[in-house]
Amino acid sequence: MDMGPLIAYEIISENTNLFFAFLIGIGFGFVLESSGFSSSRKLVGIFYGYDTVVLKVFFTAGITTMLGLLFFSLFGWIDLSLIFINPTYLYSAIIGGIIMGAGFIIGGFCPGTGVCAAAIGKIDAMMFLVGIFIGITFFNETYPLWEGLFKASYLGTPKISELFGISDGLMALLFVLMAMAAFWLGERFEKIKKPVVY
Amino acid sequence: MKPRILLAIFAVPLALIIAAVPENTTHAFKLTPSELLEEANSGVQYYSPDEIADMIIKEDPSLQLIDVRNADEFEKFNLPGAMNIPLTDILSEDWQAYLDQDIRINIFYSNGSLKSDKAWMITRQLGYENNYVLMGGLNYWVETIMNPTSPNATSPDEEFAKYDFRKGAGSALGGSAGAMNESTTSSKPALPVIRSKPKKKRVQGGC
Amino acid sequence: MEKEKKENRSNKYMNPYLGGVFLGLVLLAAFLISGRGLGASGAFKSTSIAVVKNIAPKHTENASFYQEFTESHPGNPMKSWLVYQMLGVIVGGFLSGALAGRLKLKVEHSPKITSKTRLIMAGIGGVLFGLGSQLGRGCTSGSALGGMATLSLGGIITMFGIFGTAFALAYFFRKYWII
Repeated sequence: MDMGPLIAYEIISENTNLFFAFLIGIGFGFVLESSGFSSSRKLVGIFYGYDTVVLKVFFTAGITTMLGLLFFSLFGWIDLSLIFINPTYLYSAIIGGIIMGAGFIIGGFCPGTGVCAAAIGKIDAMMFLVGIFIGITFFNETYPLWEGLFKASYLGTPKISELFGISDGLMALLFVLMAMAAFWLGERFEKIKKPVVY
Repeated sequence: MKPRILLAIFAVPLALIIAAVPENTTHAFKLTPSELLEEANSGVQYYSPDEIADMIIKEDPSLQLIDVRNADEFEKFNLPGAMNIPLTDILSEDWQAYLDQDIRINIFYSNGSLKSDKAWMITRQLGYENNYVLMGGLNYWVETIMNPTSPNATSPDEEFAKYDFRKGAGSALGGSAGAMNESTTSSKPALPVIRSKPKKKRVQGGC
Repeated sequence: MEKEKKENRSNKYMNPYLGGVFLGLVLLAAFLISGRGLGASGAFKSTSIAVVKNIAPKHTENASFYQEFTESHPGNPMKSWLVYQMLGVIVGGFLSGALAGRLKLKVEHSPKITSKTRLIMAGIGGVLFGLGSQLGRGCTSGSALGGMATLSLGGIITMFGIFGTAFALAYFFRKYWII
């Protein structure tokens, strides 16, 4: 009973896996750039209400994959117990998120979109990437300062559906409905707001 | 039509379906109770001692005998090439790769067929394939292979053929009852690795 | 004229819903093939570690972070899934930009600030993001997007952290972005 993920079932080798990583990256970068994520001004538009591209792309991608994984598992095409689920370290997840949020609104990029934008020649993106590099190296070098926080409150790999005591499928439905509501709101907001020249 | 509406038309019904379907398992195939009953009654899970003896003599590489008795009994006496998975341990993760696979033919055996039948039912219910039961267990094995009854002079030819085979098998496999006392190696046979389930929650140092 | 230009510009971008579906499919493929989601910050982490290892090997043997890393990741830090993925992102982004005629060396900034200001802010933002991504064990691609797709609680918490904070701070940085 062979199924995905291919690497876990040893249907492909480690090196093939890396090659696929490259191909997947090409797809990733292409889609990001085509959707406009190579522009910092489009990216922060969601925070100022003049461009909802981040909301639409992000949420749509999330529910697409969510549904995809659940359906593939239903058909026996993937073994969900073998895929990576982000572990939950409560405090560092929150604080890391906050710091990244600040980085986002100040820098106007995230690492993935930054690389994308740098690839098409945006010098501000390149600066952003340099900044990331510095930030990470700083963290690594001062690790003992952060270690306690970094490793605190490990909760395993809980899923949000487990938190609410509902099935994954039901959780997915809730996400889809939330997404649709958010899209509807977003589009209404876009209509009534004066277009911001940017 | 607005893209948003189009998306909703696809996403919402799909989400409704996935929410309504019972939580799926990763074993795509499990038997229903009636399927299991049918198989259990039909006896498809049985291999006769003759068949097994034949496979052993021919050194059939797909054969894997599994002794489901406890370790002591296994130490005292076991069939050649057998490995020991005590029935009580059968659900342990250590053995899963041996039981849930599609390369070897596993034959459960015990003294009679109580334990081996149980082992079969459990693994079959989990959806595992390629597991079978030695009909009659070691008791029957000894009766037929080790001490075959010589046919009457009036028995049909095939009885003689069977007898000859069993006699030959018995001596090839260690002579009459009692001579097979040395336990063959009790170490695990080499596993034909088809699927290593490395419990991989993929390691990634911060994406 | 201004409006026309803006429309022309936005017409060249893919419809965001379609882009989202494509992105979702790419992410799905990643799970199907490699059992993991996309990411970005991890590649920077690998690069940083590789560089530090090369220029100060003694230091990496003694410092706790590098020790921990080497223990859990034997071998070349650059030979990682994320590094290869990011190389692909560069290619993919470049291709898309080339096809759409968006290749241009420039500093993109609001007319209200100077290029220099923008570059400084980008740098600061980057430092913060780098630091945050290590604590958060991921960035928007990995933690937030991947987290949402797998319903990971940690990922979703980080996602709220990122977007919530950005929204909260948006007012204070408005002059850098909007007229």
